Amino acid sequence: MLTRIALILALPVVGFLVAVLFMGLSRKITARIQRRYGPPLYQPIIDVVKLLTQKENISHGILFDLGILLGLAGAFVTIVFIPAGGIQPLSTSGDFLVVLYLMLLSPLGVALAAGASENPNASIGVSRKFILALGYEVPFLMAALAVMTRFGTTSLVQIVSSQQGSVLDWGALALPLPALATFLVLPAMLGIRPFDFAAAPQEIASGPMVELGGKYLGFAAIQGALHTYIVVALFVDLFLGGAANMLTFFAKMLAVFFVGVCINAVLPRFRVGQALRYLWKWPTILAFVGLVIAALRRG
Amino acid sequence: MAMETSFALILPVAFLAGKVSPALRNVVAVLAAAVSVLLVAVLYGQNLKLDYYALPFLGVELAMRTDALAWFFAIAVAAIGLLSIVFSLRYMQGRERLDFYYFAMLVVNAAMLGIVFSADLLSLFVFWEVMSWSTYLLISYRGGKAVAAGLKYMVMSIAGSCAMLLAIASLYATCGTLDLHGVAQGIAKASPGYSLFILLMFVLGFGIKNAIVPLHVWLPDAHSEAVSPFSAVLSSVLVRMGVYGLMLVMYGVLGEAGLARLKLGPVTFRHVLCWVAGVTILVPLLIAMLQDDAKRVVAWSSVGHGGYMLLGIAFGTALGVAGGLFHTLNYAVCVALLFLAVGAVEHRTGTRDLNELGGLMKRMPVTFVTALIAVCGLIGVPLTNGFVSKWFIYKTLITEGYPFLALVALIGTWATVLYGYKLIHNAFLGQLPSGYREVREVPFSMQLPMILLSLAVILFGVLPGIAVRAIGSAQASLGLKALESGLWALPPAVGELNTINILSGVIASLALVYVAFALATKARRVDQSDSYGAGSYVPMDRYQYSVNFYQRAHELIGPYVRDRVDEFYRWLVGKAEGFFEQARKMYSGNVNTYAAYIVIFLALLIILKLGGQI
Repeated sequence: MLTRIALILALPVVGFLVAVLFMGLSRKITARIQRRYGPPLYQPIIDVVKLLTQKENISHGILFDLGILLGLAGAFVTIVFIPAGGIQPLSTSGDFLVVLYLMLLSPLGVALAAGASENPNASIGVSRKFILALGYEVPFLMAALAVMTRFGTTSLVQIVSSQQGSVLDWGALALPLPALATFLVLPAMLGIRPFDFAAAPQEIASGPMVELGGKYLGFAAIQGALHTYIVVALFVDLFLGGAANMLTFFAKMLAVFFVGVCINAVLPRFRVGQALRYLWKWPTILAFVGLVIAALRRG
Repeated sequence: MAMETSFALILPVAFLAGKVSPALRNVVAVLAAAVSVLLVAVLYGQNLKLDYYALPFLGVELAMRTDALAWFFAIAVAAIGLLSIVFSLRYMQGRERLDFYYFAMLVVNAAMLGIVFSADLLSLFVFWEVMSWSTYLLISYRGGKAVAAGLKYMVMSIAGSCAMLLAIASLYATCGTLDLHGVAQGIAKASPGYSLFILLMFVLGFGIKNAIVPLHVWLPDAHSEAVSPFSAVLSSVLVRMGVYGLMLVMYGVLGEAGLARLKLGPVTFRHVLCWVAGVTILVPLLIAMLQDDAKRVVAWSSVGHGGYMLLGIAFGTALGVAGGLFHTLNYAVCVALLFLAVGAVEHRTGTRDLNELGGLMKRMPVTFVTALIAVCGLIGVPLTNGFVSKWFIYKTLITEGYPFLALVALIGTWATVLYGYKLIHNAFLGQLPSGYREVREVPFSMQLPMILLSLAVILFGVLPGIAVRAIGSAQASLGLKALESGLWALPPAVGELNTINILSGVIASLALVYVAFALATKARRVDQSDSYGAGSYVPMDRYQYSVNFYQRAHELIGPYVRDRVDEFYRWLVGKAEGFFEQARKMYSGNVNTYAAYIVIFLALLIILKLGGQI
């Protein structure tokens, strides 16, 4: 019981550290690709500490505060339900479907805070974010259902344990098309280029985050980092076989994240309509065919 | 049942009391609704049957009965009826023909209770008809566009009733009885083709009420034109009488074995119903996303969520039926709440156009919080009731091997996220236009029903076992397998869901985050005009930035998600009118023409006669 509680408490902390490390890495990698030196690896920690200790904070009301709190809390809760390299403290309390729904809490909190921030840029950003979500959820849900159909379960722990044999058991090889489709929509799920129009800094002043400063911006930054952790960890659990220990798990996550950062560093930004057309074309076709195959093999 | 008769006696009293004094009428109306809640509540767990009238010329006894399924629907009907009447007290204040309004509200309530407590098909049909016409009176109450909406409803409703009457008459001819048990025994011996015919006629009747695509076209108009307290009753419990009827006919009369017989090759009736439900989810929910009238958004969402219920009950498994019934209850609570909240906004601002509102959160905080809870329930955010019932339905679809239907259901949920946020954002968030500076929160008697309903949303979300137990006995009363569930956790054999653990996780994380939040410097509250505009300020009241909220998505999917069914019916009506217009010209008013018709007719008869002899 005690170890279980310790694990439940440890997982968000580990997730937080990994997420912050990833942020630092992404800046470094992007800088190297663009032939710059880049900030030190621990720069995100400095940034967050600076933001949290800032002397001046402004708020647009209770919902503005609550939305930011819910956004961060939602990310922490989601992390506890995702198996991370053999650690799965709350897996019997919620399956993949629960995780899919818990992943709604953060965007909802951010969207409510953005709506409460009384700034047109924030509203435009949220509207773009939700259109993007509608875009990538179609292929992603197809792929997720293909995984659940293939392994005949909705439990993430069982999905991971079904892939524990050799590399050939991995979801990526058992379900190549849904894996590829999910990989293609990963940048959209992470909100990085070419799909960063929801929080475009130059166009709409960072969209939902336009009114955030000080501790609010700090919380939003942590939430963004945790979101990256959640999406990449889910990808590893679904398609790369999860892992037996945390070290392997994080190595796999790092590999996925590295590719994402490389894409982010070199591509320009889509417009909203372009992104929707892209997401509903190739990734959707691939995921659909994959789901048909998975359904036929089961039926 | 004694309850029914006493209730029927009270109804005209409300009308007459209004002639004496409006206050007395209001008291009588609320009391009548409250008493029916109490009377239904004490029937919990009982199985009673009462013959109340004999029809010797048909050899039929009309009877009322109560069982777990009837009770489950009856308590929802009675409770939401009471809350909407309490809401009406202030909402309707000062309008005309209020005696008539309360009378009709009570009649609708009584008719719905009559439907669920009927023990024979004739009583069911009579109460069904009473419900249909009294609904028409209430839909058309406001006059103007509402009359057109009411007529559309009435025409479709009559078509459904005719189908039902046909099935009931045919069943009487076949089985010689109208009692539900007797009919169930009689139809077990009939051929599969005949039971399919009976089932389809009932699906037509109940499907029109439950607004299954393509029988849904009356609903968006009727819901948005009716007065808000009645819209709440209409979309939460009245249209769900269709779900009750389907449960009764599918599992009470035909039974699992009877349903299994209905198939054409590999395609069973269940498959067809599932895919109809899938279409009913997807298209209306995407249409809801593109609406600008707050009540139309909710109305289209009502059509779409009916699909989830159908999807659940189409599978005879314990989890599926429980999901369908639970979603019926959850949706009833959420949508009643949402209609009341939208009604409250309309009451105070005089509009429900989402392109004109904004920022009302500051003026109507209670309405805002309750509307937010309702939207969360519709989406199925964890810890609200909709989450649990949708989880049941998804889990059923995935374990039964229908990933494509699960996909449709999940995408429907994302459409719900989009229109739900749009509704909340455009009405309550953003900048408050200066025209609404003076808006006040609605009075307490209107807040109370909304607060109670939002508490129910949370209660069933955190402790779903309360409702699942009542649903389990409803399943057992139909001879289906009942879903076993703890108060907050499902047994491991069913699936991984533990709402208390999710709740503790959310509370713990919120507490942790809040501590960090409170430790940092306290924030200074700024005015809505004090916001960042990249060097220029954001002008007040100059433009409404929430117009066309999802325009980019609209451009792409708008052309595909039109209501083609409605267009088809309109085309049909246009063509039929043209035809009848032409046919009417026969009556020229000229005696010579009529004489010519007589001659031609006689000539025809003679030719036929001669033709017969040759």
